[in-house]
Amino acid sequence: MADDQGVIERQRAAVEAAWRVEHARLPSAPGRTAPAVSPPAVPAQQIRAVGQRATRPDSRNHGLGQTKYICDIALPGMLHARIKRAGIASGRIKRIDTSAAEAMPGVKAVVVGRELPVNSFGPTFQDQPVLVDEVVRHAGDGVAAVAAISEDIAAAAVERIVVDYEPLPAVLDPIEAMREDAPKVHPPESNIYHRLTIRRGDVAKGFAQSDHVFAGRFTSQMVEHVPMEPHAAIADWDAAGRLTVWATIGRITLARSDLARTLQLPMNRIRLIGTIVGGNFGGKNEISQEPALALLSKKAGRPVKGVFSRGEEFTATTVRHPFIMEYRTGVTRDGRILARTARLILDGGAYCSWSETTLGKSCILAPGPYKIDNVSSEAVAVYTNKTMSGAMRGFGAPQVCFAYESHMDDIAAALGIDPLTIRLRNGFEEGSVSPTGQVLHSVVLKDTLRRAAERFGWEAHS
Amino acid sequence: MKHRGRGIACMWYPIGFTVSANPSAAVVKMNEDGTAVVLTGTVETGQGALAVLGQIAAEALGLAPDDVHLVSADTDATPMDTGAIASRTTYVTGNAIRLAAENARAVLFEVAAQVLGVAASQLEARDRRIQVKGFPQCGIPIGDVCKRAQSALGQPPIGSASWNPPTVALDPENGQGKPFGTYVYATQIAEVEVDDETGEVEVLRIAAAHDCGTPINPMLVEGQVEGGISMGLGFALQEEILFDRDGRQINPNLTNYIMPTALDMPEIDVDIVPNYDPTGPFGAKGVGEPSLVPTAPAILNAIHDAVGVRITSLPATSEKVLAAIKAKRGEGTKRLPA
Repeated sequence: MADDQGVIERQRAAVEAAWRVEHARLPSAPGRTAPAVSPPAVPAQQIRAVGQRATRPDSRNHGLGQTKYICDIALPGMLHARIKRAGIASGRIKRIDTSAAEAMPGVKAVVVGRELPVNSFGPTFQDQPVLVDEVVRHAGDGVAAVAAISEDIAAAAVERIVVDYEPLPAVLDPIEAMREDAPKVHPPESNIYHRLTIRRGDVAKGFAQSDHVFAGRFTSQMVEHVPMEPHAAIADWDAAGRLTVWATIGRITLARSDLARTLQLPMNRIRLIGTIVGGNFGGKNEISQEPALALLSKKAGRPVKGVFSRGEEFTATTVRHPFIMEYRTGVTRDGRILARTARLILDGGAYCSWSETTLGKSCILAPGPYKIDNVSSEAVAVYTNKTMSGAMRGFGAPQVCFAYESHMDDIAAALGIDPLTIRLRNGFEEGSVSPTGQVLHSVVLKDTLRRAAERFGWEAHS
Repeated sequence: MKHRGRGIACMWYPIGFTVSANPSAAVVKMNEDGTAVVLTGTVETGQGALAVLGQIAAEALGLAPDDVHLVSADTDATPMDTGAIASRTTYVTGNAIRLAAENARAVLFEVAAQVLGVAASQLEARDRRIQVKGFPQCGIPIGDVCKRAQSALGQPPIGSASWNPPTVALDPENGQGKPFGTYVYATQIAEVEVDDETGEVEVLRIAAAHDCGTPINPMLVEGQVEGGISMGLGFALQEEILFDRDGRQINPNLTNYIMPTALDMPEIDVDIVPNYDPTGPFGAKGVGEPSLVPTAPAILNAIHDAVGVRITSLPATSEKVLAAIKAKRGEGTKRLPA
């Protein structure tokens, strides 16, 4: 302990010296705008807030590098955590041996999955373990966590953890995963874990009345949020049994519920502070390492910080759902849409995460912003042994928009209609009815079409 | 040879969660000098949410944006919020803060009404004063009202409120219902240049017309649209996580997972389309996610316009575009051996 404190003190002195040099000449922030003494005589000069291009209150701190992210926060005696990743897509853990890691000088605590009071979480289905104790379902699954006095020691300790696996068959393709005889990611449950159908009107009749019917198939890829700040958290389990967590999480209320559930703590003993997040884009809407950090802190009696590597950002956090999308559209000769069907397959990866929301949103939005009396939209989400898909900016909308707008241009080209014209001919207006039967208000779709065309300098040619 | 093309794409996008309740609560406290503190459970994730929420509180209280400070994201101190997700912050959290500010303002009106000798309903909060509607000379600085409320009347001005968008659950049979409070609309038009020898696509410019209801802070709306376009551009042309046959990622790093940098960005012309949604705070809806939704199809439609190939699987990498161009050439006249 004395040695650790020496190391920590030396590091802190170095950090503080660097800080003093770096910030010696920073200008101070400007004072608050002087209050108006009396009401301005001219109405145009009145104080307004809404509609103003007001400077952000945090802009100066951001611009000068003074915003405190998790990486900038250090508590006395704080340890650093690393997580051992499975590295295989599917397998059963036969044995975990953490003794060599625990014996390393500087290692203060090791945690494995079975130590968690409730080892599962998830916003819809609690199908994801904090640390796998039995079955690995994708290569980024964590199997053990280490806290040590430095990141380097923690990383070296993770390498000394030995895990024996019994390999299990993996399914990587969502179409294959839908087959009855496919390996089950969460046996005995089917790999199809969520579905939704939206139907309005009579598509068969609509197609029968159409002059032309077009079909298209579109696919989209798996992408990462790539925030500048990776997932990071500090957990501090104090002697009174109260847990404080600083975390890069966009939903602190849900995260506290998940912490309370996994750790079996009353909520009034958990304080969760959402620090300024260096980019979320949907990737930080749920807990990840926080319960493991909390247990490490409890065991070590010290605060514990965990910061994901860039590699972990890709392999161990959620990604955007890859989609397979099949469209059929019946139109009149002059390009009015009479019927449309959309069938969506969402590759959910190993765990549900925010698939239910993504599936719902994409299924509702799939027909596009068009007045179509006869629509049918069906979506399924499928487990595969890959990185779990979750929330990402757009929740399925970028995928279906790629499909319905590519499809729209193909229809326009086949009919010899200008792409702007066919959209104006079918687009939603005030009072239009959505595929779920909702009467829409404040609809300015056609304004956006006309104004973008004007800004761009779009001239019709067909 | 390089070919230019243009492509259009429009979209609709809901504001808030799918079907389930997604409430926000907020507290607004007035300080003795007439400035205000807002407590909110949402999180600043870089988008400028706290700036926008402060402007909403300031508008309701007749203050300037600088007069409001926000305390956010601490489960010990701030009230429940569904979080920085689903483009809901301006609309849902904003409505909760507007209502909480109005509740704090009601205390100020009550106190000022006694001093001014008018009914509270005749008062307005404007220019850091509580004043009689239509008679701005008849009013009191808001700081004096706050001091009086606290020190003379023992009634510190504070307001709390919560808000949840009214929705109707989807029918499990046919999916009919009212899943969202409101929607936004947008169109983006891209101009690209495609090199038919390499398949490389360069996005030259994008005109982006976006509806967000009232733009609470137009500068931040523009920032969201520009950021969304960079994300949409990566989705359209570059980004893709690849797996080996054993299910391990091949490119989990920023060397081999290619995403757009400043040098890839096109010229962007953002147009905020005038609109007012009566269900939003001061007419506002949201803009965070929709900004990237139409970018990829606008670019893909522009590629089709430029070289006549339809890429149906994202991303449209140079290799994929070149292969499609070659396949298309192959369909036409073939050179026969002499």
